[in-house]
Amino acid sequence: MNYLIHLLIYLDIYVIVALSLNLVVGYCGMLTLAHAGYFALGGYVYALSALTLGWSFLPALVAAIMIAAVLSLAVSLPAWRLKGDFFVLGSLAVQALLFSLLYNWFDAQAPLGSWSNLTNGPFGITSIPKPDLFGHRVADASGFLILATLLTLICAGILWRLKTSPWGRVLIAMREDELAARGLGKNTRLLKVQALAISCGLVAVAGALYASYVGYLDPSSASLDESILVLSMVLVGGAGNFRGPMVGALVLIALPELLRFLHLPDAQAANLRLAVYGLLLVLMMHFRPQGISGEYRLR
Amino acid sequence: MQILLNGLVSGMAIALLAMAFQMVYLPTRVLFVGLAGLYTLAPYLFQMGATELGAMGGLLVSLGGVVALGVLFEWANHAPLTRKGASEGAHLIASLGLYILVVQVVAMIWGNETRTLRTGLDVPYAVGDTILTQSQLLMGGLGMLLLLAVLAMLYMTDIGLRLRALADNPTQFALYGYNVDAHRLLAFALAGALATVASLLTARDIGFEPHTGLNVTLLAIVAVIIGGRTSLVGPIIGGLLLGLIRAQVVWHFSARWQEAATFLVLALFLLLRPQGLFGRETRIEATAK
Repeated sequence: MNYLIHLLIYLDIYVIVALSLNLVVGYCGMLTLAHAGYFALGGYVYALSALTLGWSFLPALVAAIMIAAVLSLAVSLPAWRLKGDFFVLGSLAVQALLFSLLYNWFDAQAPLGSWSNLTNGPFGITSIPKPDLFGHRVADASGFLILATLLTLICAGILWRLKTSPWGRVLIAMREDELAARGLGKNTRLLKVQALAISCGLVAVAGALYASYVGYLDPSSASLDESILVLSMVLVGGAGNFRGPMVGALVLIALPELLRFLHLPDAQAANLRLAVYGLLLVLMMHFRPQGISGEYRLR
Repeated sequence: MQILLNGLVSGMAIALLAMAFQMVYLPTRVLFVGLAGLYTLAPYLFQMGATELGAMGGLLVSLGGVVALGVLFEWANHAPLTRKGASEGAHLIASLGLYILVVQVVAMIWGNETRTLRTGLDVPYAVGDTILTQSQLLMGGLGMLLLLAVLAMLYMTDIGLRLRALADNPTQFALYGYNVDAHRLLAFALAGALATVASLLTARDIGFEPHTGLNVTLLAIVAVIIGGRTSLVGPIIGGLLLGLIRAQVVWHFSARWQEAATFLVLALFLLLRPQGLFGRETRIEATAK
């Protein structure tokens, strides 16, 4: 039972990640590889403000969202000029910079959270407190599941509302033909900035949830592998609608658990899981480029 | 002077791989991330061949194996995708998938630990007032020879001319009755050979493990962008320049900021000079097709 709750919490977290990434990949048509960077950023901001400033869950969460949304400018400003593959490379550069900051902002002499040792570098942050809501600490797994599901529903609600709004339709127009959208007087640069800010803000929620649930955070959650994993959730599930990313998150969370039943040695199992992801990506691109249940074909 | 030479030698490795990347990118417009998989595989094949057949045999085994795999990537993956009119995004993702697959299979067969091709300590040589190891000299010398040979091939032979024509305009190339598919296969094979040499020389110097391939390939891509992605000389200059910059960063700051500095350089180039040092100035919309 605890195992199931644990899986459901992970599913909640990754549904937020996949849905928020879908706003950029599916609705703006921009492949970004920096998303795991913002996921980790949210987690770090939450962990640091909870640990060193002693903030409770909600203020720390808001801080994480704000900082991630502001720093999303690092991806959205280059998107004014870079198209296609070159945007992918630009986002990769942002990803590498974020990872390198989290990994290197470290000084063994200084205490955690001070200016010269902000992130504790490769050793990560330990004993991150469980969420503290209105004086009540959510310590047990089922309580946390309720909190995570609630936050997932809120995030999904926001995205659903955006998707059906005129703003969402302009976004799709921009994806289909940016020049035409600009010709109609739509400010596509502002749109990109807004979409990426919302997307990065929401993924910071997932990062904060992850940090408070696991209680430990290290730079590997900002690694390129992680970015590829969340991107493949959206691409395997299908970009451009609401079902797709959820299906993708479900498949890619369930897959390693199914492989667990093969009883392979641990080292082999991790490799096999990644190999299956790789194969899945290749096969999807060949036989179903729009993903399992997506609408939008990558171009 | 020592730092300068170290930078040039490590830049040579980047330049070789950048050239391999460019060999595929220019004629086919595929961002060939799968190159990282080829790079990863090469030293393992060498080691396997060398234990049976000696160093020469190992070289042949790894060259043959990697070139075959590169050709297989094109034949089984990129060519069908191109025939379906898939987007460059789809090419990139599929290529990334292939890379992940190769690396994980390598890790499953040969394990995750770092290995080395060299037995014993490296032999140092004094060059003027600096000291270079045998591996570094090999890398510098062989790398330079190979790059010059590739450039000569591209600019002086018929095959080189045809590859450049294919890069310029694939449709026109096909209209003149040349076999586009065969030339694309050739491009992938050349890229495989260049990647093998880069990988083996690096592995002899600093050892190898399954997970470094993508980082090195990213460096090569950065070098291509710095040098100019429409140019054939650009990647070489870009790679050497990147090697120099990284060596300076290590000297003045610390090795931990190498990656950050590299991608800062990339970001600056993408924003201020997206065509690179040697690139033709075109609108991004026109070249992103």
